[in-house]
Amino acid sequence: MNLFENVRLALEGLRANKMRALLTMLGIIIGIASVMAISTLGSAMTGSVTKTMDKIGGKNIMVSLSPKNYDTQSTLQEEDLITQDELDAFRSTYTDQIKAISFSTGMGSGQLNSGFIHKDVSITGASPDYGLVNNINLVQGRFISDRDMDGTRNVIIIDTTLRNNLVGVDGDVIGKEIQVDTKSTNETYTVIGVYEKLVIDNPLFYMGDDTRIECFIPITTAKSLNPDTTNLNGYENFTIMATSNTDSAAFALTTKEYFVKGLGALSDFTIQAESLEAMASEATGMLATLSLGISVIAGISLLVGGIGVMNIMLVSVTERTKEIGIRKALGARNSAIRSQFIIEAIIICLIGGIIGVGLGSALGIMGSTLMKFPTSPPFLPMIIALCFSMAIGVFFGFYPANKAAKLDPIDALRYE
Amino acid sequence: MMRNKIIEMRGIVKSYYLGTPNELEILHGIDLDVYEGEFLSIIGASGSGKSTLMNILGALDRPTKGHYYLDHLPMENVRDDGLSQIRNKKIGFVFQTFNLIPRSTALKNVALPMLYGGVPRSERSRRAAELLQLVEMSGRSHHRPNELSGGQKQRVAIARAMANNPAIILADEPTGALDTHTGRLVMDIFHRLHQEQGKTIILITHNAELAEETERTIRLRDGSIVDNRMNGHYQLEACNESV
Ligand SMILES: Nc1ncnc2c1ncn2[C@@H]1O[C@H](COP(=O)(O)OP(=O)(O)O)[C@@H](O)[C@H]1O
Ligand SMILES: [Mg+2]
Repeated sequence: MNLFENVRLALEGLRANKMRALLTMLGIIIGIASVMAISTLGSAMTGSVTKTMDKIGGKNIMVSLSPKNYDTQSTLQEEDLITQDELDAFRSTYTDQIKAISFSTGMGSGQLNSGFIHKDVSITGASPDYGLVNNINLVQGRFISDRDMDGTRNVIIIDTTLRNNLVGVDGDVIGKEIQVDTKSTNETYTVIGVYEKLVIDNPLFYMGDDTRIECFIPITTAKSLNPDTTNLNGYENFTIMATSNTDSAAFALTTKEYFVKGLGALSDFTIQAESLEAMASEATGMLATLSLGISVIAGISLLVGGIGVMNIMLVSVTERTKEIGIRKALGARNSAIRSQFIIEAIIICLIGGIIGVGLGSALGIMGSTLMKFPTSPPFLPMIIALCFSMAIGVFFGFYPANKAAKLDPIDALRYE
Repeated sequence: MMRNKIIEMRGIVKSYYLGTPNELEILHGIDLDVYEGEFLSIIGASGSGKSTLMNILGALDRPTKGHYYLDHLPMENVRDDGLSQIRNKKIGFVFQTFNLIPRSTALKNVALPMLYGGVPRSERSRRAAELLQLVEMSGRSHHRPNELSGGQKQRVAIARAMANNPAIILADEPTGALDTHTGRLVMDIFHRLHQEQGKTIILITHNAELAEETERTIRLRDGSIVDNRMNGHYQLEACNESV
């Protein structure tokens, strides 16, 4: 008797009792469906996190000076700041790990005036590498150059929304002079570039609707205009872009240690270095905990389902005692009877598993679509789920099948 | 003329143990020889041990004591899987209550012994159809047992017994559940199998008239053979042969 014949026999047996078979499968269906749903959601979330991380710079490490004690007012001293020399030394120590370093400083919000147009904007002073590190997507012109920096030039990069407001979608804004008023300044800048604002459509990274218009000017220009920082020579924060094969979480720690050493022991400040990747893995870690919880529930459901299968197989063996006797009288070996019933149990579980995988994938896709990161269900968990449901069939089908195989042919034949 | 002794039983005892002290002996030392191609009947009152004897003959059961040689093979040396194989290849059972598998069609029922005999699928269907034709049941090959009359069911059962072309057909009161007319039809099939195909047939029956039609009749009483004689004209033939 080959496998194919056994499968046919089992299917015939199940067809005779469709409703019962379906009810028996319920535990398996629920168990497999929940595992499948959560792994579909999980892979969607990890996928979208990775995608968004790439967009916003997953390899970035944000380094900043922060007060050791937030209760007491601490003011930054010049000696606290990280000097250009220190930074150059750091950079040459870790050339393999560092792709770029960018600096920026917030100038706060202000009002942009150009002719009759007035817009609220926020101004950020940025270094030339800022564009690379923060994935600034320039659509026109150029970003800040070293010469802009050295010359503390009044040049500005605006976003497409502002460009559209000023000159329309097709208009040429490069070289146009615009005037910006902030709390303490009143300057005129020349537009050198237009960038497209990054849209993050990932609900996991949702940080409120950001309708601000951000404009970039050289950081040197920004510092020279800000009375608080004019005299300070050094940096209080910067962003490192790690190379793609660097473990940015680990490198964040290295960075922190490196610069903490440079701070005087008496300083009120310490170094904070955080990698975006580590922050994101915190989010995925939460998902892992959730998956574990659901897996436990699914496991219990599969166990109960397996016991249900065993129960129904025992009923089936008793109901079909006479049939077993007939088969034995006609020459069926014990092993043939055993495999017939085990395969029937496997098929119940496998069909349950297939329904479960289908249902779970559908739920997962629905859930991930609702959460705005549609995905296709992952292949490997699907295969694992199906194999696992077959294993349940073997495990819980064995005892009833063995019972059937060991029936005495005469007792079985005489059974009414 | 040398005839092959296909069945040889010596001192077959069958006991049931209903708790240690209550040993219940059903067959008390049966000696029986059956030659290949014989049509033998076994008669006896209800409870005399006919079915018990048939189960041993058919390798469904093992005797408590005694020796049984089936086609010269000592059955006490055969393991359970071997017995399955013997039931499959050498023996065809026909039961009083038909014992067809209710969910399967007539064709599938007839093909079942071939399934366990490892016959390929297409060959199974072909031969099953052929056998159904032999018992004049071709028109009902796709009917399930509950759509068939008693006589029809028994004809399907006989076709099934013939599936692997066994040497011996064991029929335990095959007409017991049938009216006289359909019983007659079933008997005719046995005669045909005996005459045309030379099958060894052992028929258990209550009906003395039907027993008379066979070559030899054995009478069981309380688990012992009390009579063993040739019937009617066969008796004459046997006499002539021995002369
Ligand atoms: N499993 C068993 N346990 C105890 N007694 C049995 C068992 N099977 C059959 N018997 C007894 O054996 C006797 C012979 O039974 P059976 O061979 O079926 O008779 P028959 O077929 O001639 O009517 C009966 O008295 C029956 O009660
Ligand atoms: Mg009987």
